[in-house]
Amino acid sequence: MTCWIRGIGVAAGGWRLPTKDVNAAWGRPGGRGQSAVVAADEDALTLGWAAATRALDAAGMTPEQVESMWWGTSRAPFGEGPSWTHLAATLRLGPTCGGTVISGSTHSGCDALAAALDALESGRLATTLVVMSDALNPAVGGSLEAVAGAGAVAVIVGSTGPGARITGTGSVWAPVLDRYRGDSEDETRDAYDGRLFREQIFLPLMGKAATGSDAGRWSIPDPDGRMAATLGQRIGAAEVVSAPSRSELGDCGAAATLVGSAAALGATGPISLLFYGAGRATRFDLDVDSAVPGAERSQVDLSGGRLVGYPQVLRSRRRLVTTGESVEMAVPPGSAMFVRGNHETLGFLGGRCTKCATINIPPSIHPTCISCGATEFDEVALARTGTVHTFVINQTMPQPFEAPLPLIVTDLDDGSRIQLQGATDGSDIAVGTRVEAVLRRYTIERGVPIYGWKFQPITTRAEVAS
Amino acid sequence: MTWNRVAVIGAGLIKMGELFDQSYEQMAKGAFDAAVGSVDQGFDPSLIDAVFVATQRGTLWGQEGIGGNTVPWALGLHGVAATRIENACPTGSYAFRVGCMAVASGVHDVVLVIGVEKMRDKSSEEGLLARAAAGHPIYTRGESAPVLFAPFATRHMHEFGTTREMLASVAVKNHHNGVLDPYAHFQNEVTIEQCLAAPPVCSPLHLLDCCPQTDGAAAILITSAERAAEFSDRHVYVAGFGVATESPYLHEKQTFVGLPATTLASSRAYAMAGIGPSDIDMAEVHDCFTITEILDIEDLGFVEKGRGGIASIEGETAIDGRIPINTSGGLLAKGHPIGATGIAQLTECWWQLREDAGPRQVKLRNGFALQHNVGGRGSGVSVVNILTRNP
Repeated sequence: MTCWIRGIGVAAGGWRLPTKDVNAAWGRPGGRGQSAVVAADEDALTLGWAAATRALDAAGMTPEQVESMWWGTSRAPFGEGPSWTHLAATLRLGPTCGGTVISGSTHSGCDALAAALDALESGRLATTLVVMSDALNPAVGGSLEAVAGAGAVAVIVGSTGPGARITGTGSVWAPVLDRYRGDSEDETRDAYDGRLFREQIFLPLMGKAATGSDAGRWSIPDPDGRMAATLGQRIGAAEVVSAPSRSELGDCGAAATLVGSAAALGATGPISLLFYGAGRATRFDLDVDSAVPGAERSQVDLSGGRLVGYPQVLRSRRRLVTTGESVEMAVPPGSAMFVRGNHETLGFLGGRCTKCATINIPPSIHPTCISCGATEFDEVALARTGTVHTFVINQTMPQPFEAPLPLIVTDLDDGSRIQLQGATDGSDIAVGTRVEAVLRRYTIERGVPIYGWKFQPITTRAEVAS
Repeated sequence: MTWNRVAVIGAGLIKMGELFDQSYEQMAKGAFDAAVGSVDQGFDPSLIDAVFVATQRGTLWGQEGIGGNTVPWALGLHGVAATRIENACPTGSYAFRVGCMAVASGVHDVVLVIGVEKMRDKSSEEGLLARAAAGHPIYTRGESAPVLFAPFATRHMHEFGTTREMLASVAVKNHHNGVLDPYAHFQNEVTIEQCLAAPPVCSPLHLLDCCPQTDGAAAILITSAERAAEFSDRHVYVAGFGVATESPYLHEKQTFVGLPATTLASSRAYAMAGIGPSDIDMAEVHDCFTITEILDIEDLGFVEKGRGGIASIEGETAIDGRIPINTSGGLLAKGHPIGATGIAQLTECWWQLREDAGPRQVKLRNGFALQHNVGGRGSGVSVVNILTRNP
């Protein structure tokens, strides 16, 4: 069966870390370029949400139309837990949507695409969402730290076009150890000699996987910043299209290859994608019949980012922690409050009064309408955009809060009013500012990530989309 | 309305502050002794037949919950009927209302209402500020106390042109009054410039826009008007009280330039007393933050909506102004030991109506004083009590 990529969306971590800052901290000279890292309240799930939201927009699809979601990430945010359902809830996917999260190596993004294609091949469904995202927690002082990028990409893959037609694939593997994180370990590290990996593992395996395609354009992952160019020469690539995003973001792991191809999918013609991870190398050949929707805005979505220093990144990765106690939430993440409330909180839902249409937020704490006292409600998806009514910037809070923390009361475009934290430092917020709600990780509580929505000014990126 | 008229026969408090050297029980005893000692004709504590204890939280000094027995036991009132009352920042003023209802109904004769609060046994980080992590895990996360009032400042500034200088003028006035009040936590003047230059706490509120964390206790003795002459030479009566509630969530506020619960509570209290705002000679109002006093004086009807900032900076609320507000120094200078706050405010009103307030004494015209607290998540509970010296 022939399948098409019908829409694409990308996202990058909100911070940019100069390589020379990392090197300087460890007494290493120089260092070129930068990498994208997640802000303290972002991770692979929030980036995946952003990319998937853009892909759905680009393809002109509603979340209910997604029949399955396949999510590949080296490391799911809930190591063993409800990663897939949390992403599905924040995307407001339908109750019968299937799929899974695939993790364990940087090849997992490719595995998610392969699984989606197999699902389409089965004929039981016609439209899938494939998400690839990574936000590595690299070993402090190790070689990955200066090159690991945080990024995400999502594509709508269907059994009908238009878009980029998938025309072929090939895969090879070898049982070798390279990038590694043990079951009890928190950080990912290089468990190998760099030269050995390059000469005996990456270049030979990828060279074999590349055999069979004569596309001029290639997207190639680039763990050290040089291997993609070398491989490109060896396989006779006219153009390595992933080079610009690699220099902007670093190596985005499971998302690297498809992120690297995003802009190129806006131009017609053949292109081949090479994926690598944990001894597996896979090639997908595409023929772009017509520009993939969303490709045109990918460069804008990957650009920008706030330049930060190494200590700030270490803090956000919880590698640099203050002494003293952190204040815990009133209830633990496994409590009944979350069982009752996760659906409406993650889905950003309200209860619209059937009598007077006032939207009550959140539904579970409003047995009667705040306006008219009626007791019947329809569950509705809240508007994600609105106008700031009033706000504050909280500068004094105990751990784990970090100041400055804006708290913003916003009149949403559906007429409801809600209070959320700000995603920025608040210097860009005023009464009347137009804002959008974006998914962020509010905290990690007793080891469990807690997700919710925050407001940020509607960005240039969003205007490009609208 | 058929109820027995209620009289205040004694009131007193301890010097507010960071009372690291006093236990919860010792603070209670200090306030109790002050109230007993204030009764004109002397007072036998065994006459007390009910105690209402106002303490908002025990968690700030390691108590999960406090029953009604802890304070009476510490005071030696063994066997007395007692309970603890908790109703957010108006805990003390609400306990007073309950005590009044107990006397007014005829169930109890002589009632002690005592507010005690330990705010500083724990550090701010583990104490008050820790509430930033309480409540809804997303929709209220990060809400430490200033967050409940700062959005009103943002909006009041936006709609009425209220300035940070106007906010600061409230702190300047209340610190000045505090210097005149030996019971006040702070005994220093501040200037507008100091207020403006203070570090931000929760923008647009800065440090001197915020009340301190204060330990304290205050006590008040009430009985029926019929029995007042047994105890007191110069009587003060309860003229009226009112309570109102609204949403505990900021996102459900219909307005951010006022607290409708305060307007509603005061209209009930004015109606019960048969008076209006212009009959009030002085008021102790809830100034947990400077903006709160500005909202209060508008919502209580003392100044037109939107003029609170201007009225403050122009001196209308000073001791010698048109409507003296927070002559005791208010929460900003006297302090805000939550359960004790309302009782301490009532003590100031009692002194003022008996013309015992010394350098803080206001000119009495109509003989009415008003006391007010507002609080609860999102300032959803407002309590107003009105005292009078008029027979």
